[in-house]
Amino acid sequence: MPKQGRYWISDTTLFLGPAILLLAVFFVAPIFVNIVVAFTDMSQSVRFEDFPTTRQFNKLGKVNEEALLGFELRGSFYRALALTGTFVFFTLFIFNLSFALILALTTTAVPERMGAIFRAIWLLPRMSPSIVYALLWLWVIDSSERGLFNQVIMAFGMEAMNLRLNHPMAVIVIANGLIGASLGMIIFTSAIRSIPDHLFYAARADGAGSLAIVRHVILPALRWPISYITIYQALALLVSFEYIFLIMGPSRSTMTMAMLSYTKSLAPEIGGGQYAYGAAIALILIVIGIIVALVMWRLANMKALLQQPRIEVR
Amino acid sequence: MATVELKNIRKAWATAMAVDGLDLTISDGEFVAILGPSGCGKSTTLFMLSGVYLPTSGDILFDGSRVNDVEARHRNVGIVFQSYALYPHMSALQNIMFPLRFQKVPDAETRAREMADLVQVGELLDRRPSELSGGQQQRIALARALVKRPNLLLLDEPLSNLDATLRLTMRAEIRRITHELGVTTILVTHDQLEATTMADRVICMNAGRIEQEGSAEDLYLRPRTLFVAGFIGSPPINLIEGKRPELKLSGIPVQSGLEDSVTIGIRPEMLKAADHGLPATVSYVEPMGRETLTTVDTVIGPLRMLEAVAVPRWRRDEQILLNFDAEDSMVFDTSGKRIDGANVRLLEIPGA
Amino acid sequence: MTRDWNQLAAVSIRDRRMKMAALTLFLVAVSAPIVLPYFWMVMIAFTARTGGADADTLWTACAILVPVTLGYSIAYASLSVRYRAITGAAALILATSLLWFFLGDDLHLNNFRFMINPNIVEDIRGAATAGGQFPWVWNAFGNSLILAGTQTLIVVTVSTLAAYYLSRFSFQGRATFLQSLLVLQAFPAITLVIPIFLIVYWVGLLNTLYAPILVITALELPFFIFIMKGFFDAVPWDIEMSAMTDGASRRQAFWMVVLPQVRVGMIAIGVFAFIKGWEEYVFVTGLRTGNSYWVMSTYLYYVREDVMGVDYGMVAAVSLLYVMPSLILYLFCQKYLTQMTIGGVKG
Repeated sequence: MPKQGRYWISDTTLFLGPAILLLAVFFVAPIFVNIVVAFTDMSQSVRFEDFPTTRQFNKLGKVNEEALLGFELRGSFYRALALTGTFVFFTLFIFNLSFALILALTTTAVPERMGAIFRAIWLLPRMSPSIVYALLWLWVIDSSERGLFNQVIMAFGMEAMNLRLNHPMAVIVIANGLIGASLGMIIFTSAIRSIPDHLFYAARADGAGSLAIVRHVILPALRWPISYITIYQALALLVSFEYIFLIMGPSRSTMTMAMLSYTKSLAPEIGGGQYAYGAAIALILIVIGIIVALVMWRLANMKALLQQPRIEVR
Repeated sequence: MATVELKNIRKAWATAMAVDGLDLTISDGEFVAILGPSGCGKSTTLFMLSGVYLPTSGDILFDGSRVNDVEARHRNVGIVFQSYALYPHMSALQNIMFPLRFQKVPDAETRAREMADLVQVGELLDRRPSELSGGQQQRIALARALVKRPNLLLLDEPLSNLDATLRLTMRAEIRRITHELGVTTILVTHDQLEATTMADRVICMNAGRIEQEGSAEDLYLRPRTLFVAGFIGSPPINLIEGKRPELKLSGIPVQSGLEDSVTIGIRPEMLKAADHGLPATVSYVEPMGRETLTTVDTVIGPLRMLEAVAVPRWRRDEQILLNFDAEDSMVFDTSGKRIDGANVRLLEIPGA
Repeated sequence: MTRDWNQLAAVSIRDRRMKMAALTLFLVAVSAPIVLPYFWMVMIAFTARTGGADADTLWTACAILVPVTLGYSIAYASLSVRYRAITGAAALILATSLLWFFLGDDLHLNNFRFMINPNIVEDIRGAATAGGQFPWVWNAFGNSLILAGTQTLIVVTVSTLAAYYLSRFSFQGRATFLQSLLVLQAFPAITLVIPIFLIVYWVGLLNTLYAPILVITALELPFFIFIMKGFFDAVPWDIEMSAMTDGASRRQAFWMVVLPQVRVGMIAIGVFAFIKGWEEYVFVTGLRTGNSYWVMSTYLYYVREDVMGVDYGMVAAVSLLYVMPSLILYLFCQKYLTQMTIGGVKG
């Protein structure tokens, strides 16, 4: 038997050490730094004089006199809150849940290889670099007659539209939704796959049609995955800003909380370096996220799901 | 109830032929067992009958009409699966009532309860499948299959997940219930005892084809192929290379040239210890309760001998003499077919 | 009860056909809008000249490519492996020849000249403009490769080691550790971009490639550790025990016996990590104050925003170059990725 002490480093250090080090410095520490910074007055100079102070939070509720790109952002925080709610709600329920479910159901109902092709197509946006995906969107919704969307609707005799200006929320909901739907699709598909074949055979022999099978065999087996996707994607959407920023830029019409935090601090070329202000918003997002997660956790008994990371039919 | 006919049915998967030209007729109210090793195509046949699989070619007829294209849900067939396949989120009663939901039966619950009483699970109806034992789940599955009064009842290895005692009870139960309802039943199993005890007729399948069909004793006493002889019977039949100086073949057509390459089959219980015959050394003795299985070494290879004695008669390394009656032997040609009328007897070997 | 089997058969056949037709139609209808922009991009890259692309040309190209691709997809789904390659080659030849026939004059590679001209931006816009600080595209490409590759290597190594330990060793605080990891895994990490910027600044890694490499690795780590743990959990204990009874040490057993069993998992997270690193944008721009280094994402962003936003052709060509490695990797490793979601689905 080799003894533990024979090696020059212990098993724990060798196996767990690198992970702990990376997580501590770049994941756990930032959480605490964020909390601290949110209560300072740190800005561009990356130094702060005042701690603790609730100045950043006081600033949120009030009319904001600070100019951003020449706009005056009045009550931008409440507006951001409302926009975030709308964005998360519609993206989550229309795409990340409903559409993902429909895709999983339809691609598993057609012959296997055909279903696989359609699933691969739906994963295409997720696998493309975000900048490329955003660029494609910009070309699709281009307000001139050259935009792909406008060309299509003009072929049907409709007027060219400026989606970015007139329907900004729809644009970011759909742009995020087309990507978001693929995760649910994959998870639901593998859950449907793990239902024993015999259950489908039994239902068919019992006289159930396709819709009855969906209702009585598939949906009951998807209860856990659906709860999981709801919570996980709600959290992800709450804080996501990459596609919004890349497609809409710092536009007021889609300035969600995460966008506000990012544009105020780090966004390239427009970031105002207001680190404390950004951190304060981020802290609010984190708190909202934790509350949402806890509430849904209770509702869906997520603990059981997360501790047993396997989809199974009992 | 229905008569069922399969005409030259084939089912090809991407890589293999699961069922390869199957012809079968089952008359109204009959209880038929399809017996075969795993992978012989018996379950595939069952699933084709239920409408879950589509045959690659051939016809499936119910009461003389072609039903190949009729979907499973319109076929009015009841199935019991090896895994029972009960809906996990429904109570036992909801499970039994499930098929009636699609038939718009007015008194569904009464009918479901009657059926539950017939299979003797009347008091378990509020429970979920996960709260039921294997035998209880089995009964619920049977009730679910029967509640819609199917034309045809299909049983896919229904007893293989049960323990030995329960299996014995359920064997009789299933027989009683199907008899009571008079439903045409097809049982698929790899267990010969299950097939022979429950069914009126046994169909033995191998590699996607029917090897032989008939009554249990037909298959046991008069196997038509080497496969059937080897598959049916426990402990299995002794198979011996036929061309040996100790053996005298008879009944083989002279000009056929078969003599050189035949295989001899002798069932273990047909071998007897005698005062003259083939010298044998006892190598292994297995008391099996009512019977004793003795394995011996001989010049024609190791043989199994089954004797109806509870206390072993022989000890290890004991020298004995073996013999058998010529009419108890079977002779098979190279293609595995049994040669009718052919048999074999031992030649006395001087000085043995 | 007698049934009219013939009528039931007719109903069944009709139902089946209608169901298949409806499903296929639906899937094609919802998937077409996803694929179309990609075709669009490819065609712009190969046809657009300065000042923009001709819409008719693009639609002709789509009218050729979409049916051919669709036909090939259906053939792919219904044919056996042997014929797939033949159909694929036929589809490719058909598409190329049709494109050549109808659009021969419009096809050109001029938009890809940035690949051989190191000073393309200067040549277009003049040295005095913002283009002056722009690197050659291969510089950004190389940096992206380094970023994604190094990141992949670290992620795979670190998460494999940690997952093995969590799966196989019992130690004090294991449950707590796993739970914390679970919380981190669900934590909206992107909200931490500001404090991460500050830490990177304090550590002195700002404006270096190390920063995004280490940060992305750390943020993805909990997710990948759980996936790898799922793979390790599936390896039977017996195999390790028998290796140890055969005289291997714990570490030798890990290295020689267990690791080969989770190869698929390592490939899966590797592909995933690479694609993530290759596309990274937020943590590159966020952890960089000037233009100290370029990767493909920032390169394309500035190409689009600043430098040649109106030169659709070249922007599309750069996009195509950028998207290719991800797509190729995805297409070839698809089977590993799906195994990951099944083997280690986080719920």
